[in-house]
Amino acid sequence: MGGLSELVGGFYTAVTPINLLYALIGVLLGTAIGVLPGIGPAMAIALLLPLTYGIDDPVSAFIMFAGIYYGGMYGGSTTSILLNTPGESASIVTAIEGNKMAKRGRAAQALATAAIGSFIAGTIGTLLVALLAPGIARLAVQLGSPDYFAVMVLAFVAVTSILGASRVRGFASLLIGLTIGLVGIDLGVSGQQRLTFGIPQLADGIDVIVVAVGLFAVGEALWVAAHLRRQTASLISTGRVRMERADWARSWKPWLRGTALGFPFGAVPAGGAELPTFLSYVTEKKLSKHPEEFGHGAIEGVAGPEATNNASAAGGLVPLLTLGLPTTATAAVLLAAFQQYGIQPGPRLLENEPKLVWGLLASLLIGNAILLVLNLPLAPMWAKLLHIPRPYLYAGILFFACLGAYAVNASTVDLILLFLIGVVGFVMRRYGLPVVPAIIGVILGPRAEVQMRRALQISDGDLSGLFNTTFSVTVYAVIAVLVLWPLVNRFVVRPRRQRRAPDGAERWPAADALPGEPAQDGERVWSVPEARTGDDATVDAPAARPLDSASLPDEPDPRQQEKP
Amino acid sequence: MISRITRQGQDRSEFLVVLFLLALGVLVLVDAARLHSGVGQREPVGPQAVPFLVGGLLVVTAVLLARDILRGGHGEPEGGEDVDLSHGNDWQALLLLSAAFLANIALIERAGWPISGAVLFFGCAYALGSRHFVRDPIIALVLSIGTWYLFVLGLGIGLPVGILKGIL
Amino acid sequence: MTIVVGYVPKPEGRAAVRRGVAEALLRQEDLLVVNAARGDSYADAGFAPEEELAAVRAELERSGVRAEVRQLVRGVDPADEIMQAAATAAAKLIVIGIRHRTPVGKLILGSTAQRVLLEAGCPVLAVKAESEPA
Repeated sequence: MGGLSELVGGFYTAVTPINLLYALIGVLLGTAIGVLPGIGPAMAIALLLPLTYGIDDPVSAFIMFAGIYYGGMYGGSTTSILLNTPGESASIVTAIEGNKMAKRGRAAQALATAAIGSFIAGTIGTLLVALLAPGIARLAVQLGSPDYFAVMVLAFVAVTSILGASRVRGFASLLIGLTIGLVGIDLGVSGQQRLTFGIPQLADGIDVIVVAVGLFAVGEALWVAAHLRRQTASLISTGRVRMERADWARSWKPWLRGTALGFPFGAVPAGGAELPTFLSYVTEKKLSKHPEEFGHGAIEGVAGPEATNNASAAGGLVPLLTLGLPTTATAAVLLAAFQQYGIQPGPRLLENEPKLVWGLLASLLIGNAILLVLNLPLAPMWAKLLHIPRPYLYAGILFFACLGAYAVNASTVDLILLFLIGVVGFVMRRYGLPVVPAIIGVILGPRAEVQMRRALQISDGDLSGLFNTTFSVTVYAVIAVLVLWPLVNRFVVRPRRQRRAPDGAERWPAADALPGEPAQDGERVWSVPEARTGDDATVDAPAARPLDSASLPDEPDPRQQEKP
Repeated sequence: MISRITRQGQDRSEFLVVLFLLALGVLVLVDAARLHSGVGQREPVGPQAVPFLVGGLLVVTAVLLARDILRGGHGEPEGGEDVDLSHGNDWQALLLLSAAFLANIALIERAGWPISGAVLFFGCAYALGSRHFVRDPIIALVLSIGTWYLFVLGLGIGLPVGILKGIL
Repeated sequence: MTIVVGYVPKPEGRAAVRRGVAEALLRQEDLLVVNAARGDSYADAGFAPEEELAAVRAELERSGVRAEVRQLVRGVDPADEIMQAAATAAAKLIVIGIRHRTPVGKLILGSTAQRVLLEAGCPVLAVKAESEPA
């Protein structure tokens, strides 16, 4: 049923020597990149996009990219478990419990539960994609331009309003991305040049590779260079990576729950991986028979979130493959990769490129297995990568960034653009503008414009042409909720809550604090850019109040870690 | 900990972003104004629609951001595993990094990638604090020559060979 | 008047501490144990975790020597940190641990011990792990 029969067919594609090799390369790279903080799968795939010029078969290239996508999830947990950082700062949910476990001598079990959980979640997730994709694609085929446009607007709104707490800045970032996407020849009939200022090389627009690499890689490298942290740690040594019977018994339910939690979130534009991971942690803590262990090394706190992470990554493939809609930065870069090959992701993708899609999914299943084999026994070995000094890592990033940007068009103009966009990326990081909306804006913007103009052309200029299907109306309703909720919160919910605090103390409304809220000044609890603002959405104080730990509610909170 | 004083100082410089957004918006609007609908075919929404929208929104966002800053809002500089925000910018590192970048741009077509790439890598590593003067150039050359071979021979993507033509 | 010990959480480092203690007792001098790392990489085998430092401190207390343990992560090469500490404290002796490194290994990984031996301003005592039984 569903796509399972096609999936079997996909194995024929995936099991060729060449594709197995690419899968292996992909997962190796992905794990290495996942282990090293500071580089993410999105940046890595962006850096490798130029390779698509040389790899003729898109199937092979995507098998490699997908390997990197999944592999990145595995490597990250190794680092967070084995890196014995001084002090108590934990920046990712798994790190809290996994690291604590390692410090108590249970590193092997933490690594094992993370790897196996990732494998189970990744496998189930991929199978779910195979099951659901054909059905969703069939439904999606009926969608028209107004519907696509609505969904893209949803993606825009979602990406600006979930990341961090400052929507103004997220929106600014999105607009910057849209502006960059505007450069070039108009895709409509007029064929005029927009924002090119007479520079011929800009006529084709600024290549997505240059933008992605500039914003992610160069911007990050410049920012890190300006504030290079001189801090090191030791690696916790571990024996053979394995688990006891009791550990298995405690892990299997969190694995499954994590998968169930992560997949839907990954599949939805507003989702991502941070929120479900946090939810998984909280759920496991509530359901655990050993809740007192949380905060000191509870294995469920590793099993659940790890599975959630991987399931979320798999979930992200559903909208990407069926609608051409990216839900994360990595998915957006994968979308750009599709465009490099001239493939239009969307509901027709399954019809037009079955070999690609099913080969990809089959390869992911194989890749997951390889990753398990790679990570279970070899995790301590991967951790040795952490001995590479940061100067080499970032010099390497810049090296490959320039290499890739030049290879696009064999033109130094691209290198100059790369530098300029890198500077923009630097400034964005300096002033708390998240980078992800910009990438989504660059990649999705032009496509959204095409859909909008087509919809209006069909309706002959009538604006209602954007709203004339039930689907688009529903989507816009969802958007309205997303946009208006914080205002409702501010004018209705919060005053009510304040009235309930008769002691007169202004209570900090923790309930609507997004998981992106930092617990301490300057400390990042999640790997998302933070912004503390006087923005209407989150603070209703007439005077600006700097956020400090004194005003946060006192509750045992896994996010709150003390910095010495 | 970022002190209140510092934060207020930083607030002022955040207006740079407002200015940038404003300038960008004006730029987009001005450029859009000179566009016209396609000749011949009557398009309800021409090429200037989205630019006008984006430009307008940029200006609006600039205003909203200014309002946010005035109300005490603050864009938090991005933290991270490798970032230590307790001191100011390391301008020397940034300048050196930019210099390495520009050196690559200048050299890549004249001297070829194997050389310009090595200079780039070495320069960046130096800028970031690495002071191994034997090890670093070796790594840099291995990378630049290796990637040259990979791209040109393995993938068929052209990279300039410059003065090493004939040797490689 | 101090003796500076360059410490790493490895057998040769622990041997250096033991020898340093012996020398300090012999000469009636203070001990300064320095654990330095550049801080360039995420993980550094030469960086001593809290537990190790605590163990060293305990051992020093047991020995009865007046000692200080310092951990420095400042973007400075460990060899320079050790020599700088020795210079500032006007140390009479530096004790470091060494292990065999091939010439290529020295080229690629560097040798803190070699640099200290050649560049220090005071006598240097280099000990091997095996020569200082616990």
